[in-house]
Amino acid sequence: MTPTISNYGDHALLIRWPTDGFSEPVNDAVHHLAAHLRESGRYIEVVPGYDSIVCVFDLGLRSMSSAKRHVEDGLARHISKTTTAGKLVEIPVNYGGTYGPDMPTICATAKLTEDAVIALHSGQIYRVCMMGFIPGFSFLSPAPIALHHPRHATPRAKVPAGSLGIANWQTGIYGLESPGGWQIIGRTPFSIFDAEREVPFLLNAGDRVRFIPQ
Amino acid sequence: MSLTVLHSGTQTLVMDAGRPGHRHQGIPGGGAADKLSFAVANHLVGNRWDTPALECALGGLHIRFERTATIAISGAQMWAQNQGMNLPMNKAVDVEKGDILTMSFTRAGCRAYLAIAGGVEATTFMDSVSTYLPASLGGLDGGPLKTGDIVRIGDRQGEPNSLPKGHVPALSNHVVLRAGAGPEWDTLSDAGKRYLFTTPFYATTATDRMGTRLKGDKIALNAPLNMTSSPLLPGTLQVPPDGQPILALADGHCTGGYARALQVIQADLWLLGQIAPGAAVSFRRSLAEESSAILKAKNSYYADLIPGFRF
Repeated sequence: MTPTISNYGDHALLIRWPTDGFSEPVNDAVHHLAAHLRESGRYIEVVPGYDSIVCVFDLGLRSMSSAKRHVEDGLARHISKTTTAGKLVEIPVNYGGTYGPDMPTICATAKLTEDAVIALHSGQIYRVCMMGFIPGFSFLSPAPIALHHPRHATPRAKVPAGSLGIANWQTGIYGLESPGGWQIIGRTPFSIFDAEREVPFLLNAGDRVRFIPQ
Repeated sequence: MSLTVLHSGTQTLVMDAGRPGHRHQGIPGGGAADKLSFAVANHLVGNRWDTPALECALGGLHIRFERTATIAISGAQMWAQNQGMNLPMNKAVDVEKGDILTMSFTRAGCRAYLAIAGGVEATTFMDSVSTYLPASLGGLDGGPLKTGDIVRIGDRQGEPNSLPKGHVPALSNHVVLRAGAGPEWDTLSDAGKRYLFTTPFYATTATDRMGTRLKGDKIALNAPLNMTSSPLLPGTLQVPPDGQPILALADGHCTGGYARALQVIQADLWLLGQIAPGAAVSFRRSLAEESSAILKAKNSYYADLIPGFRF
């Protein structure tokens, strides 16, 4: 569970945990360390991934070696932490129909009825592992194995904001309307990202999500 | 107190220094793609270096000033004229009410910065007016300038400045970027590693503020890479399975799933904004020990000139 720290070019560090697929304890460690690094105010960006963190610093202000030392200190102090980071957010979802055009595909591969797929997909709590791609796009922890399905070979030109998708083992929520290749099984009426809102983001990396079928 | 857009050009966007610190939420730092030329233009008209200005990609912008103004153009070499008279680049110039400024095609580089004393006004999102087109943030209602738009000009901040000889950023249609190893460098084949630093690539028409797809010798990986989506930075060169690299730019995605082979050094990030479609792009290996010295030298070269600006 000890990560390696390596150079990412001359002004960023990559902290990477050895994992084979998704690991919840690793993602816990990622978010604890990321929060600690962000609070230190030393970095321009602290970007958590599933099993890694990239932190960007200003090479004009700090050296690679001092940044590495700072991360090592953070690891030494935070690695043992076991508390759960983030808040629990309940998100209403309209599964299937026009909201989830790929629901029949998922039902077919899973050999389950739509109700069973919905029960399976909404029956667990997901963690927001990473955000990116487009503003607010939330990469969630793995969906139940029966629901895993590859992306479309050709991405759709438009996926509506709030769409819930499946790509291999990942579940994700589109923060904005955008092109996309994920299998869409439903949509939430909640705004995941709204630039006009005081807090534009509904979710942050480290949060937990429960889907409530409507 | 404004200017009118008579023709928007290929793509003209309001830009400032961007909104760093939000990549973990999927929002790239963005801002002026070439921060050096942007800072120089602002400095010339007496603005703070990070005052909102117009970023004009590949030329074609025509505007009419609705009041007297002091302006300066830096960055990509464009044939700019005011009232039909050639305008010098990298020099503060006064324009009169009713004057029409035209910017023609670029001869070297990709983006010219038009700074106006007082700056331009636009929609703020997360402390920045920089336009981010994929999410329609900042700028003029989140989009590029359109014919007929009226852009408001702010209050003059200070006296115009001149640029000492040797401080004009040198641009060409062959962009040479110094770069160090990225996280997946070791997944490249030996030949791939060599080619990256020896072959010139060229920027295809799939080039915008998010990234540029390069074409050149195929860069092969040792073995097919099955990567989880991971954080990605501006200046990262990714190598997809087809071996044709993609260079992430100022508005690049915050995550990616291809091998991150190279990372452009901090001192050269400003050049990413000057890669025009069709330009040649080469990479030079930069060792970790030297890049800090390169950056310090470049910073000190401009530090006394442009208060607050750093590469």
